[in-house]
Amino acid sequence: MDVAAPALILRRRPEAGRLARLFDNKTFLICACLTPAIGLLVVFLAYPLGLGVWLAFTDTQIGGGGEYVGIENFVSLAHDPVFLKTVFQTIFYTAVATAGKFALGLWLALLLNHALPFSSIIRAIILLPWIVPTVLSAIAFWWIYDPQFSIISYVLVDRLHLLAHNIDFLGTPWHARFSLIAANIWRGIPFVAISLLAGLQTISPSLYEAAMLDGASPWQRFRFVTAPMLMPILAVVLTFSVLFTFSDFQLVYAITRGGPFDTTQLMATLAFQRGIPGGQLGEGAAIAVAMIPFLVASTLFSYFALSRRKWQQGEANE
Amino acid sequence: MNIITRRNTLALGAGALAAAALPGAGYSAIPVANVEPPKMEIEKGATLRVLRPTKFVDPDETIWRQSTDKFVKATGVPVRVDFIGWEDLRPQTAVAARTGAGPDIVVGWPDDPHLYTDKILDLSELADYLGRKYGGWYFLAEKYAQKWGTKTWIAIPMGGSSGPCVYRESWVKAAGFDKIPNDLEQFLKLCQALQKINHPVGFALGNAVGDANAYCNWLLWAHGGYMVDDDGKVTLNRKQTIDALKYAKEMYPTMISGTLGWGDPSNNKAFIAGDISLTSNGVSIYYALKNDPKMAEVAADTNHAHMPAGLVGKPPESALILNAMVFKHTKFPNAAQQYLRFMMEQEQYEPWLTGCIGYWAQPLKAYAQAAVWTSDPKIAVYKDSCANEFWNGYKGPITAASGAATADYVNVHMFAAVASGSATPEDAAAEAEKRAQRYYKS
Amino acid sequence: MSEAVAASDGPTILSSESRIRRVVTIYVPLACFLLVLLFPFYWMTITAFKPNEELLDYHQSNPFWIAHPTLANIKKLLFETDYPRWLLTTMTVAICATIISIFASVLAAYAIQRLRFRGSNYVGLAIYLAYLVPPTILFLPLAELVFQFGLYDSPLALILTYPTFLIPFCTWLLIGYFKSIPYELEECALIDGASRLQILRRITLPLAVPGLISAGIFAFTLSWNEFIYALAFISSEEKKTVPVAILTELVQGDVYQWGSLMAGSLLGSLPVAIFYSFFVEYYVSSMTGAVKE
Repeated sequence: MDVAAPALILRRRPEAGRLARLFDNKTFLICACLTPAIGLLVVFLAYPLGLGVWLAFTDTQIGGGGEYVGIENFVSLAHDPVFLKTVFQTIFYTAVATAGKFALGLWLALLLNHALPFSSIIRAIILLPWIVPTVLSAIAFWWIYDPQFSIISYVLVDRLHLLAHNIDFLGTPWHARFSLIAANIWRGIPFVAISLLAGLQTISPSLYEAAMLDGASPWQRFRFVTAPMLMPILAVVLTFSVLFTFSDFQLVYAITRGGPFDTTQLMATLAFQRGIPGGQLGEGAAIAVAMIPFLVASTLFSYFALSRRKWQQGEANE
Repeated sequence: MNIITRRNTLALGAGALAAAALPGAGYSAIPVANVEPPKMEIEKGATLRVLRPTKFVDPDETIWRQSTDKFVKATGVPVRVDFIGWEDLRPQTAVAARTGAGPDIVVGWPDDPHLYTDKILDLSELADYLGRKYGGWYFLAEKYAQKWGTKTWIAIPMGGSSGPCVYRESWVKAAGFDKIPNDLEQFLKLCQALQKINHPVGFALGNAVGDANAYCNWLLWAHGGYMVDDDGKVTLNRKQTIDALKYAKEMYPTMISGTLGWGDPSNNKAFIAGDISLTSNGVSIYYALKNDPKMAEVAADTNHAHMPAGLVGKPPESALILNAMVFKHTKFPNAAQQYLRFMMEQEQYEPWLTGCIGYWAQPLKAYAQAAVWTSDPKIAVYKDSCANEFWNGYKGPITAASGAATADYVNVHMFAAVASGSATPEDAAAEAEKRAQRYYKS
Repeated sequence: MSEAVAASDGPTILSSESRIRRVVTIYVPLACFLLVLLFPFYWMTITAFKPNEELLDYHQSNPFWIAHPTLANIKKLLFETDYPRWLLTTMTVAICATIISIFASVLAAYAIQRLRFRGSNYVGLAIYLAYLVPPTILFLPLAELVFQFGLYDSPLALILTYPTFLIPFCTWLLIGYFKSIPYELEECALIDGASRLQILRRITLPLAVPGLISAGIFAFTLSWNEFIYALAFISSEEKKTVPVAILTELVQGDVYQWGSLMAGSLLGSLPVAIFYSFFVEYYVSSMTGAVKE
C-alpha cells in the first residue's frame, strides 16, 4: 500500500480547496493525525515519567530536594527482603489472577455463545462487576471478607455447619493473598468474557460445520477451530489484563493496605507506601521504576508469543 | 513565594479579632492568662484554604465550620475548608508541599511537619502566645510540634487522640478482675480468663495506622524496650524487645481470630457487635454505643482504662496528634496564623472540644478544666492524651526517619510475625532492627 | 451472532438426553457464574437498605434479608452530601476524557494503520509502551505539571491526564480494527477523487463504529474507576469524583458508614449500568462486525 498511495494522490480532483489539498499531502496528514495523541502523551506522560525516573536515582525526601545517588536506591532495594517478597507476590498475584480470569472468562464466553433466553440482559449483568468503581467494590469485598462478619463464614459455620470457626480471610498470608486474587478475578472476568465472546462471534459457522462433518469431537472443535481463531483477540485482552493486574493498586489499598506484615503488598502499593506516607520519595520512585522491566517482559510475552504470529495467521484464515 | 520574616514589626491590626476573642458567657472556667496576642496584620485581600482530615463525629465538622464562619465574619477573610479521608490526606499534603500549590494550612498527622520542615513556616511566636495564655503545652504536643533538637515550632497541635484500653466491665468482672490491672503478668491473666469465658480480646495486628501501632508500641514500651535511643541508634535487637515479643506470643491466643488482618475499623465493629471484650481504641467505640439508643446497655457496660504501665511506671501510650502547619507557599502567612489562633481560642476551641466528646484531647493544659471532661467520667482517661510521654520512634528523634519507619510498619510487622508464629522472637527482632536501620542510617 | 448459535446448536437434534446435557453443561454453570458475579451486588444492596443495628447482628436476624428496611442511607447520601454533584463531575470527566482519547486515538490509529509511513510500526509500539508506565510513579511529577498549567483542583486536570492511560489502549484496539477494513474501499474512493479526510469520515469511520464503541466503553470505565489522580489533583470537596468523595465523606476515622458506602457504590454504578445495557450488543459485536464481511 505504501507504494500505491502517492500515485493515487496525483489523480486528485483539481477543484479541491487548498485546505483539503493540504490534508491530502500525506506527510502533513500523518503529522496532523499523530499530533493529538503524541502531544498528549509527551506532555502528560513522557515528561513526568522522565522526572519520575530521575527521582529514582536520587535520595529525594518528600519534603525536600535530593541529590543524585546513582543506583543506590536499587542496590538497597535488592537487599531489602520486603521488596523482594513484594516482587514475588506481585508476580504470583498477576500470574494466578490472570490465569483465573482467563480460564473462567473463556468458559463464561463459551457459555454465553449459546442461544440463551434474555441474552442481552445477561450480558449487561455480567459487565456489572467491571463497572462499579474498584475502590467501592473493594470495600464491599472487605466487608465480605471480614474476620467476624463475613457472610461466607456465616453460611459455612452457622448455617451449613461445615466449619467450626470463621475463615480468617485476611489474617494469614496465604488466605489474604488468595482473597485478594479472588476479588481481582471477580472484577476481571466480565472484561475477559465479553471480549472473548466478541472474538467467538467472529468465527464463521461454516468452520464448525466443516469440523462436524469431519467428525470432530467438541474438544477437537474447540482445540482446532475455536482456540486458533480466538488467538488474536485473546492476545490483546491477555496483554492488557496482565498490565492491569500487575500494576493493581486500589484493591490492596482498600482491603489490606499490604497487611498482614506486608504479605499482600504489591509493587505499586509498596512504592506508594514508601514514597508518600513514608516520605522516601526517591525509594518509592525506584520501586515504581523497577516495575517497568517486569511490565515490558510480561507484555512482550503475550504480545510476541501470541499476538504477532497468531494474529496474522488468523487474518490470513479470514 | 511571599515569605514574611519580620512579623514582629508589622503594624497593629486585627482589631476585629481581638474583639471576637473576648471570653463570652457560658463557657467553663478555663484559666486564661492575660497575654497580648501576636501582632500579625492580616494581609489585604487575603483568602485561605484549609485542608484537614475528615470528621470523626458530625460535631467535629459542624463546629469547625461554624468557628470558621465566625472567623470569616470577624476578619472578612474568606476561608475554605476541605475535609479529606484520613489516609488520603498524605498524598494531598505531598502534592501541596511539592508543587507549592493548594491549601495554605494543612491540619495533618503527627509526623507530617517533620517530613516537610523546609516547606512550612516557623510558628514559634503563635505557639508561644497560646502556651502562655492557656497554661502551657502538654509534653507530647510540644514534642511533635517542635523541630527536633530545637525550640522552633513548626506546627500548632490542635488535639490528640490516644488508644487506651476499652473493655466490657461485666465480662472483666466475670473473668475475676475488678479493674484493668497495671501489671503485665496480671493483664495477660485477665486476657486468658476472658478468652476462657468465651469473650476473647482483640488488638489489631494488620497494617492499621492507628490501632496496630498503638498496640505494638504499647507492647514494646511496657517492657522497657524502644526502637531507637536518644542519638538515633536503632536499639530493637535487645532483651526487652524479645521479652515483649514473647509476651505478644502469649497474648495472641487470647484474641479473636483474624486480628492479623485487622484494619482500624475492625475492632470497632467487633466490639460493638459484642464479639470482643477488650481492645485499645479512641473514644469512637464508646461514642457509637452511647449514641445508639438500642445499645444503651452495652454503653453502660463499657469503660476505659489506661493500658498496663508494665515496667515503665507511666502509661506506655502515645497519641495521634492533630498537627496544623502553614506552608511557606501561602501568600497570606499572617491570615493563616490568625486563623489558627482564632480556632485555638477558648470561644472556638472549647465548643469543638466538647462536641468531639474527648476524641481530640486538648494540647493546651488550661483546657483540662473544660466541662466535657467531667460530663462523663468514663471518658476521663482520654483527658491527658497529650501528656503521654511516648511517641512513634521513641526515644529517638522525631524526623523523616521515624516517620518512614512507622509508615513501613517495622514495629507492627515484628510483633505480627511473632504472634502468628512465622518468626521466632530472636529472628523477628534482628530482622526489624535491620529494617529500622535502613531508615535511621545517617 | 445468530449464525454462531446455529453453528453450535443447530445441527444437533435435541433429544431429551441432550436437553439434560444442555442444562448441566450450560445453564448450571451459567447460573453459578451469575450467582458469584452478582452476589457482591446483592450484598451491597442488602447492606444499603439495612438499619445499623441489623448490620452487625447475625444471630437474631437472617443476614440475607432485611427485617426493617430503611431508606436512611440513601437519603443521607442524596440529601446530606454533595453526591449528585460528584456524580455529575465524574460523568463530565469520564465523558470528556473518553471523547478526547477516542478523537486522538482514531487519528493516530488511522495514520499508523491506513496511511502507513516509514516507522509507523515503531510509533505504534511507542504509543503502546506508554501504557506500561505505572501511575504510582507519575502522580507526583504530574501534579507539579498540573500545577504549572494552572489546572490544580480543576476537573480539567483529570480530563487532560486520563487520556495518557486511555489513548494507548484505544489506539491499539483501533489499529486492529482498521486492519480489518479492506483497503480497496479507500482506494476506490481515492480514485473517485475523495480527499483523505473525506475517506476517513465517510468510509473508514462508519465501518469502524463498533470498534469505536468498544474503545469508548473501555475508556469510560477506566475513567470512572480512576483513583490516584483524582485523589491527588482535586482538593475541593464538590469537585471530587465519586470514588474519592465517597471514601472521604463516609469513612469517619475508624468508623465506616457501611450502609451509605454501599448505597453510594450502588448508585454510582447504576447510571453506568443502564448506559451499558444499551451498548453491550455493540460491544460484543464490536471487534467482529467488519471482520466478518
